[in-house]
Amino acid sequence: METTISRTQTVVLAAEGITRRFPGVTALDHVSLEIRSNEILGLVGENGAGKSVLTKILIGIYQADEGRIWLNGNEVVMNGTSDAIQKGIGAVFQEGSLIPNLSVTENLFLCHEADFLQYGVLSKRRMAAEARRLLLPMNIDIDVDAPVASLSAAAKQMVEIARVLWLSEKYGASNPVVILDEPTTVLNDSERDTLFDILNKLKRRASIVFISHRLQEVLENCDRIVVLKDGQNVTDMPTAGLQISEVEKLLVGHDFSGDRFRENEQLAPNEPVTLKIEQMGKAGAFEPVSFDVHEGEIISLVGLVGSGKEELCRCIAGLDQYDTGSVTIDGTRPRKGSSRAAVLGGIGHVPIERREEGLALNLSVADNINYLVLDKLKWAGLISSRLEKEHARRWVAECLVKTPSIGSACAGLSGGNQQKVILSKWLSSGVRLLILDHPTRGIDIGAKDEVYRLIRKFAKSGIAMIIMCDTLEEDIGLANRLLVMRERRLIGEIDASPGHKPSPQELIKLVV
Amino acid sequence: MEEKPRERVTQPDVRKAAMRLIGRVKPVHLTIVLILVVGTFMSVGNKEFLSLYNIDTILSFGAILLIAALGQMFAILIGGIDLSVGGTISLISVMFVFLVHSVGYWAYPICLATGLVLGYINGVILTRVKIPSFIATLGTGGIITSLAYVVSPRPISAASDDYGYFAVVNGSVWGVSNVFIIGLVTFVCILAFLRFSRAGRNIYFVGSNIKMAWMSGTDIAETRNVAFMLCGLCAAMVGIIISGVRYGGDPVVGTSYVLNSVAAVVVGGTALTGGTGGVVSVLFGTLFLSLLDNGMNVVGIDQYFQQALLGVMIILGVAVTFDRTKTPVIK
Repeated sequence: METTISRTQTVVLAAEGITRRFPGVTALDHVSLEIRSNEILGLVGENGAGKSVLTKILIGIYQADEGRIWLNGNEVVMNGTSDAIQKGIGAVFQEGSLIPNLSVTENLFLCHEADFLQYGVLSKRRMAAEARRLLLPMNIDIDVDAPVASLSAAAKQMVEIARVLWLSEKYGASNPVVILDEPTTVLNDSERDTLFDILNKLKRRASIVFISHRLQEVLENCDRIVVLKDGQNVTDMPTAGLQISEVEKLLVGHDFSGDRFRENEQLAPNEPVTLKIEQMGKAGAFEPVSFDVHEGEIISLVGLVGSGKEELCRCIAGLDQYDTGSVTIDGTRPRKGSSRAAVLGGIGHVPIERREEGLALNLSVADNINYLVLDKLKWAGLISSRLEKEHARRWVAECLVKTPSIGSACAGLSGGNQQKVILSKWLSSGVRLLILDHPTRGIDIGAKDEVYRLIRKFAKSGIAMIIMCDTLEEDIGLANRLLVMRERRLIGEIDASPGHKPSPQELIKLVV
Repeated sequence: MEEKPRERVTQPDVRKAAMRLIGRVKPVHLTIVLILVVGTFMSVGNKEFLSLYNIDTILSFGAILLIAALGQMFAILIGGIDLSVGGTISLISVMFVFLVHSVGYWAYPICLATGLVLGYINGVILTRVKIPSFIATLGTGGIITSLAYVVSPRPISAASDDYGYFAVVNGSVWGVSNVFIIGLVTFVCILAFLRFSRAGRNIYFVGSNIKMAWMSGTDIAETRNVAFMLCGLCAAMVGIIISGVRYGGDPVVGTSYVLNSVAAVVVGGTALTGGTGGVVSVLFGTLFLSLLDNGMNVVGIDQYFQQALLGVMIILGVAVTFDRTKTPVIK
C-alpha cells in the first residue's frame, strides 16, 4: 500500500539552497527541502535549527537571501502569506492565529466574507452550512456559532487546518501543502491521536509538513523525515524502520548515552520529610490526597490531563485555594491560597508557561536570577550592584546558562537557557521543595540533558521535588517514586528507585 | 558552495556592523539628539534662548514638570497610568494656601500626606476593586478636581503676612533656585529608591510580568499601592511648588500636567506597557518638553499654534524614541 502511493508521488513544493541571515547569525545555510504529494513529512531539529525560519520562508513571511522555491516545477516567489495561500501553501502555528472572540464560522471565512454575499448582504446561513461542511471530515463536534475562545486547543487547530484547506480549495490548488508547527505540544494524548487520524486521511488530497520535538510521534506518523541541524540539512530519509536513537544521534551530532536521565546519579532520599500533604482536597479538582516528600526525593505525578495533578500542584504552590486538609513544609503550614506564603515557606514553582509565567522577559538575566535573594545582596541596607553581579555570575556558571552577558534581556535567550535562568532563580533562593511543571517542554535535547544534570545535582543537595514530565519515560527515569492519578484520585504509588524502574507499558495501564 | 565570492560576503558584513550599531542605540540617546536639535534651532531663532536667565527659567519650569513626570513614571512602570495627577495638583495648590494661613509650616506635611492618601485610594481601587487604573484614576481625577473647586471655586492669592512660609519653595541657595534643588533631590531619591531597594525592584517586575512576580511571592497589591502613593506624593509636591511660585492657588492649574507628565515619560522612550524605562529617560524627556515649551515663547511662535506644534513634536518624539522591540503590537 505504502509503496504504491510513493510510486505515483510527485514533488509539489521544493526549496533549493535556501540561505537566510539575521544580524549575527546565519539561520539557514543552503537548506533544501522537497515536499511530495500525498505525504506527511516530518521536519525535526533542535531549537534554533532553522525549522521555523524555513516555514516562514515557504509561506512568504520572510524572504530568502539566496535560494529558490519551485512549485509544481515552476519557480515562484512568495510575497507574504496571502500570496502563499493562493498558491495552496498554508501554515498553522503553535500559538494559533484565530481571533478568540469571533465565532468559528467568522474565523473560517475571515476576509473572505464576500463569497457569501446574497443580494448584497451576508448570508449567515450559507456561511454556517459551509463551515459545517468543512469541519465534517475533521471529526470534531463543535458549534460553528460558538466563539473560538470556548474551544479546546485541539478544536482550534482543526479549525485552522480547515481554513487552510478551504482557502487552497477556493484558489484551486490541486495538492495543498499544510505546514503544522509543533501542533501536538498543546494537545493531550487522545486529541493527538485524533489529529493523526485526520492527517492520515488528509494525506489523500494534500501534503502535510509536520514539525515536532517529539521524535516518537514523528517516526510513527510521518512517511519521510528531514533533519535540520544548525541551519543545515543533515538527512532526508523514509521513516520506515528508523529508530529514535538514530535520529537523536543526528540531531545532537553525537551518540546519546543509554543513561539519558542520569539514573546512575540518582540517590536514595534522606530520612527527614520536607513536604507533608494531609487529606488535601479541592472540590471538582481532586479528591483528598495524602503523601510525603522526603529531603532530596523526586516524586513524579503521573496522569492524563484532567487527572487532577496540575490542580494539585497549583494548590501546593499556593496559586489556588484548596478546601480540605493541609500542607506542611519543613514543619510549618503556609497560609493556603497564597503564593507569597508558599514561597516564603520554601516552595518554588517552575511553570510550564516559561515566557508568560516564569520570566520578566525584558529584564536582564541577572535581574531574574537575583530576584528572590535581593535582600541577601544588600550592603548597609542597600542592594549592592557588586554583590548582585557576583551572585548572578556564580549561578550563570553553576547552571551553564549561555548568555551574551548577565546584563542581556531574557527575551533573547533560547528556551533551554531561559529555563536554566528560572532554575537558577529558585535554586539560589534556598528553596526546600521545587515543583517542576514539564521542565523540559520545548527545549532541545542538549539543554534537556543539562536540566537533568541540575535536577540530579540539587536533589543531591537535599531539595525535594515534585515533577510532571512530557513523557512517561522521563517521569520514570527521573523519579524516586511515582504517584499515579486518575480521574481526580490518587490511585497508586510505584517505587522507581534505580534498579526497580517500572516500564512505561506497566505504567500506562494504570494511567488510562 | 564553499567558495563564496568576496563581494557577496562583505556587503552583509557592512549591514551587520550597521545593525549592531543601531542595536546599541537606546531610546534615551535619541531623546538627547532631539534635545540638541531643538536646542540648536531655538538658539538660532533667538540668541537670548541660551542666556543664563532663560536657562534658569527652563530648569525651574523643567524641575516642576520633572517631579510630576517622575510620579507618573511609577504608575506607568507598573503598567498603569495615573490621570488624577491634574486634580491632585489643583487641589493641593488651593489647599496649601488655606492651610498656610491657618497652620503655618504644618501645611507642608499635611499636603504631602494628602497626596499619599489620594494615591493610596487610586491603588486600592486598582488592587481591591480591580478596576484598570486608566478608568479608576479618570474617576478619582474628576472627584478630586471637584474637591478643588469646593475648596476654592476661583484662583486665590495668599495673604502677604504668610509670604514667609513660601520661602521654602521660592528661596535660593547660592543663586540656585530652591525649585531646581527640590527637583534634583527628588530625582536622586527616586533613582536610589528604584536602584537600591527591594520595593523599587518589585515595581519593575510587576510591570514587566505580573504573573511571574505573583508566582515568585511578590505582594502585588502592596507594590501597586506603593507606586500610586509615590505618584500622589509627587503630585502633591508639584501642587505645593506651584502655590509657592505663584503665592496663590488655582483650581484648574493642574489640568495641563496630566498629559504633559505622560508625554514626558513617553518621549523619554518608556513604553506604556510597563516594566521598562527609568528616571534618566524621564529626565531627558522632561528636558525636551521644557525646552520646547520655553523655546516656542522665546522664538515668538504664535500662542495659538503652540499647542499644535507641541502635539506634533510629541508624536515626532515618540515616533523616534519609542522602543518598538518591547511592544510587538501597537494598540
